[in-house]
Amino acid sequence: MEWAWLIPIFSFAAAPLIVLFGKYLPSKGAFLSILAIVAGFGGFWVVLISWMGADPSTSGCFTSENTHLLTCDYERSWFNAGRIGDVGSVTLNWGILIDPLTIAVLGLVTFVAMMVQIYSLAYMKGDPRFGWYFAIHSMFAAAMLTLVLADNFLLLYVAWELVGICSYLLIGFWHERAAAREAAKKAFIVTRIGDVGLLIGILLIYREVGTFSMLDAFEAVRTGAMSEGVTTAAAILLFLGAMGKSAQIPFHVWLPDAMEGPTPVSALIHAATMVIAGVFLVARTFPIFEAYDADPLLIVSIVGLVTALVAATIALVATDLKRILAYSTISHLGLMMLSLGAFGYTAAIFHMMAHGFSKALLFLGAGSVLHSTEFQETGEMGGLRKVMPITAIVFSIGALSLGGIPILAGFWSKDEILVAVSDNRNVTFIVLTLFTAMLSALYMARAMFLVFFGPLKSQNEHAHESPGAMVVPMILLGVLALGFGLISFNWPGSYGGIGTFVYFKHAHDFHFEIWLGAVSIVLAVGAFIAAYLIYVKRSVSLENTRSNFFGILKVIENKYYFDEVYQWTIDRVVLVFSRSIAFFDRAIVNDIIVNGPADVTRKLGIAIRVHVTGHVYTYTLAMAIGSIGMAIFVWLRVA
Amino acid sequence: MVDLVWFQLLSAVLFVIGLYGVMSRRSAVLIVMSIELMLNAVNINLIAAASHMEGTGKFSNFDGQLIAIFIITVAAAEVGLALAVILRMYRNKSTVNVDEINLMKW
Repeated sequence: MEWAWLIPIFSFAAAPLIVLFGKYLPSKGAFLSILAIVAGFGGFWVVLISWMGADPSTSGCFTSENTHLLTCDYERSWFNAGRIGDVGSVTLNWGILIDPLTIAVLGLVTFVAMMVQIYSLAYMKGDPRFGWYFAIHSMFAAAMLTLVLADNFLLLYVAWELVGICSYLLIGFWHERAAAREAAKKAFIVTRIGDVGLLIGILLIYREVGTFSMLDAFEAVRTGAMSEGVTTAAAILLFLGAMGKSAQIPFHVWLPDAMEGPTPVSALIHAATMVIAGVFLVARTFPIFEAYDADPLLIVSIVGLVTALVAATIALVATDLKRILAYSTISHLGLMMLSLGAFGYTAAIFHMMAHGFSKALLFLGAGSVLHSTEFQETGEMGGLRKVMPITAIVFSIGALSLGGIPILAGFWSKDEILVAVSDNRNVTFIVLTLFTAMLSALYMARAMFLVFFGPLKSQNEHAHESPGAMVVPMILLGVLALGFGLISFNWPGSYGGIGTFVYFKHAHDFHFEIWLGAVSIVLAVGAFIAAYLIYVKRSVSLENTRSNFFGILKVIENKYYFDEVYQWTIDRVVLVFSRSIAFFDRAIVNDIIVNGPADVTRKLGIAIRVHVTGHVYTYTLAMAIGSIGMAIFVWLRVA
Repeated sequence: MVDLVWFQLLSAVLFVIGLYGVMSRRSAVLIVMSIELMLNAVNINLIAAASHMEGTGKFSNFDGQLIAIFIITVAAAEVGLALAVILRMYRNKSTVNVDEINLMKW
């Protein structure tokens, strides 16, 4: 386990190698990137197996007082500022922290990144910047893996920003297009706003604890060395960073635009890297959130619930396939946050993984459709199951899984969330969560039926199934989306379900609330049947409903005017403020303070240069008068 | 002994004549001559003052004479330099009229 730091190093190494030597290598060096991530995936299994075999006596391992989990920490000194032991000297460490949370996310990230990279081999074929794409992809995965393994806030922050810059480069990958450039900037700037909160939070903790180590921070919270007010403030600031990265309202606006990048990039961003970083951060620093009265968790759950609900309604009316999926991601990220906020630690991580596999699958499926039909609007599609059957099947598996149809992965994880919410939050929460779950089923069903069912349009008759490199990753992800829920049960033998693997303080066996399960099954299946009647059979018409709810519909179709409000704020507040600052800079600083003295000197020079006549006698006269003046002065002084 | 004030008067008259010459002449050679006049006016002043200084005996204080010797030396060097400059000036511009030597003015 001490060698787990090699997992991101492989991918980190692959990136510069591809950039420098890619053009001399077969497939422009893309295989390096894939080899690196396969090595990372292998590393995940090694870590998992050695963690299973470890006990508190293993070197570096102990049972954490904060999580009651077997935790392994390997820390090394990074650098010292000042002499060690002196007052004011600072020692910065870096290291890796391995606990079940790390292992779970490690598996998700390496597997999805691996699938996406194999898929990209075919999807990006012929792109002029093929090698560059894989280099950044590698870097992205490496940054995310570092973030997951980091045992201190400083390393986490470095990885966090690396994830940000890689997402910027990938979203703006086709930077010849203005929309891609804008989307890349938007993603970078909006997440940056949250990052400021994260940075302040980290520095606040550093000021209180005197080290960046997370374990020390948790210890300080547990022993009460960090006061309640500071802990709450730190938790809220950290959550601000998580909101930016995980696209929680009001920072969600960048994610739908992020689809301007190549579709496999969306799959990676939405499933394995970037957006889950925020959820991961909250889970990782859960002891800080949970300390004292756990007030920050109420904020987390409210933000999560609002995000889930708002994004789900937008996904319901969006017409662009990738946009539906993007809002679906926001909605599910909201559910994960809600679950964390409702003490559903296990449920959130479980859902993160189930959603990760399903959403990667859906995006790869959408990419396959786009690759083949060149269309992105669902209105241009329909009946595609006839020409691309495998894509249709795996996409449907993903949609059914996220929609929460029983036995698929998404059903079990959603159920865990519902149990957590009903146990720890009041009835409003559970009702709205169920409603969101129903909406989730409805929009997934809508997307699935609109794209793959109904009559085939003539413009799509030439469409064909995608090549093997794209289909195989989709099938593998499909198998996981189908069967991943199995890990949540108690199995005969030593394995007691995911609740005994990833948990916070209390291990719990798999349990299933009959009434909640029944309600959620009825809602999900009902939603799928309703969508089938509306979009395939067309036996139910929405025209009346549409006109009855015209006002609400218009608001939702305009995405609740978030972008418009932000644009207005930027135009009317930020830019006006900036302009007044710029005016101050130009008028006061530049014109008066800087150019002023220069101007005075120049004017003075012009005024007195007429005395430089070039005639010797003027100079002599001036000299004589000067001498006489000085003589008189001296004489007066003496006298 | 003649009063010191007469020497000083002579010195001042010579100095002012020299100053007038520097200011009014156009020819560089004449200006240099006027400068020489001014230097010698100062010499007279210094030596007269030195010889009138009170002390244990005549010429007991040599400060004035010393400075006069210095001035004569500097004046000799200055004339050498000035005449060389004037010569170069004449070679370049075919004139020694200072009014036409005005490259350094604005």
